[in-house]
Amino acid sequence: METTTKTGTLVEAEELLRARTHSPLVPLPIEVRGPEPNRQTPAVGQRTTRPDARTHGLGQTKYIDDFYVPGMLYAKIKRAGVASARITKVDTSEAEAMPGVVAVITGKDIPVNSFGPSLKDQPVLAHERVFHAGDGVAAVAAVTEQIAADALEKIKIEYEEFAPVLDPLESLKLETPGVHAPSANIYGHKLIKKGDIEKGFAESYRIFEASFRTQMVEHVPLEPHSSLAQWDANGRLTIHSTLGRITLGRADIARTLGIPMSRIRIIATVVGGNFGGKNEITTEPVIGMLAKKTGRPVKCTFTRPEEFYASTTRHPIIMDYKTGVTKEGKILARKVRLVLDGGAYCSWSETTLGKACILCAGPYEIENLVAEAFVVYTNKTMTGAMRGFGAPQVCFGYESHMDDMAKALGIDPLEMRLRNVLKEGSLSPTSQALHSVVVKESLLQAAKRFGWNVQGAGQGQGALP
Amino acid sequence: MVRVSLTVNGEKRDAEVPPETTLLRMLREAFNLTGAKLGCDVGDCGACTVIVDGKLVNSCLMLAGQVDGRDVLTIEGLATADNLHPIQKVFEEKGSLQCGFCGPGVILSAKWLLDQNPDPSVPDIRDALSGNLCRCTGYTKMIEAIQTIARERTV
Ligand code: FES
Ligand code: FES
Repeated sequence: METTTKTGTLVEAEELLRARTHSPLVPLPIEVRGPEPNRQTPAVGQRTTRPDARTHGLGQTKYIDDFYVPGMLYAKIKRAGVASARITKVDTSEAEAMPGVVAVITGKDIPVNSFGPSLKDQPVLAHERVFHAGDGVAAVAAVTEQIAADALEKIKIEYEEFAPVLDPLESLKLETPGVHAPSANIYGHKLIKKGDIEKGFAESYRIFEASFRTQMVEHVPLEPHSSLAQWDANGRLTIHSTLGRITLGRADIARTLGIPMSRIRIIATVVGGNFGGKNEITTEPVIGMLAKKTGRPVKCTFTRPEEFYASTTRHPIIMDYKTGVTKEGKILARKVRLVLDGGAYCSWSETTLGKACILCAGPYEIENLVAEAFVVYTNKTMTGAMRGFGAPQVCFGYESHMDDMAKALGIDPLEMRLRNVLKEGSLSPTSQALHSVVVKESLLQAAKRFGWNVQGAGQGQGALP
Repeated sequence: MVRVSLTVNGEKRDAEVPPETTLLRMLREAFNLTGAKLGCDVGDCGACTVIVDGKLVNSCLMLAGQVDGRDVLTIEGLATADNLHPIQKVFEEKGSLQCGFCGPGVILSAKWLLDQNPDPSVPDIRDALSGNLCRCTGYTKMIEAIQTIARERTV
């Protein structure tokens, strides 16, 4: 790898780093302690510096796109640009004939053209069918990135377009055509039941209903996805990648390329932001195939637009809440329905669905609860892992709902929450007994610190300092 | 092809590049100076920030041919590991960078600001960093760090 710069500061920086992080050996035997639930870790309040801060500041941290290997080719991927279609004709001949273009591949060149962290429903490159506009339909390896980009324009693909399914509530209906027919559009479901909601609603002083929606969110790591593939003389593949979950990625790469995992080495270096968006493979099998076909190292870095339409995003969720309360604002029963827009592929939807469903009741003690969640396919950019896996969406739902109810009941919103929060030993929605519960203390502490006006009960607003 | 002769970090450099080559690509690919990063290639993120003749520039928006005869400073020219620029030192102490990808751009913007204005207000700092996006750390610790340097310098 030719990565060092002429000044040699990288070597100096590394030496410095070593000196800085060197710590004296811990004397043995190490004291082993059992768990002490209420003991504060001594790490709290300590100041520390990151070991990589020095190279970051010097601009000497090497990210994947900073690597160059002699003979390396640059890959670009052509995106479908249509949400739902059948590919009727593919003509790559003009692109292949361009000077500087070394190889072109399409979906038919991928040995096993499906992958995914749970359901294997995602093609590496679309073959026959396109499921969302960001699907890759062909890939080019060329001597410069510019030539590769120009070659994409010369690839001619004809489509028979279909009406896309874009609304998750439409997708939920039985009569809606399947995005991945014959598979159903609902590909994940979870139901949580606790107590007796009919009884809870019957005993309620008032019942509130509300619906909330969140939008699709992209992680936007400042560093775009990037990977670099090289085969060695013994038929082993080394991939440098921005991939966060390398072991899982290795399994997916082995599957799609049809080679054993033992022949694949993945090197993940410093990542320029992940936030959950780099948890699964994207270009790795494509460049693996291109590198195999050309016999040369191949690198592919996403453009910023590709980050938005060809990588995962946060699930939009449509949340319907129904909550029964006493006159004093104590929640007696709650029913929630969540519909997650999964986009074109499953990715980490099952994890997200599970978390959203478990957490949608909020940090509140609710004896009678029904929470049901569905995740459906649509012909949109796929959704996947992102910080919190569904938790931020439902938090927006249950807290907005809480504010609305507090206002309608004339109760201070903080007070309303304090009357309902989980306590030591409370049962979670899945009836797990909870310990080390400090919701009340946290709320009071927060209210004090940012100057929430408890006196202004019923106003539904805080006093700004 | 375009011939370009310029000064980079105090050294004379020459390159022959295709006319569409940006300053960013020339720095990264022809000179192997990978400190300036490609985050968006359209002038939105500031990861590619460098200083050209004393002016802050998004190097993804400048053609290599435009810097012929000019003076370019990249993050690699700012300091060495044992002789850090004060900004780098304080950024390190304050934890102003997490993944670090935005770092080279942010630090050069901060340097440019402190060169112009040794005692910037918070709005001045925000203004100077407005062209640099950070997705991990956020801006609070960067602003704190820049204020600290300004204070230390003016004492
Ligand atoms: S890469 Fe130049 S501004 Fe983003
Ligand atoms: S530290 Fe990651 S983008 Fe700023």
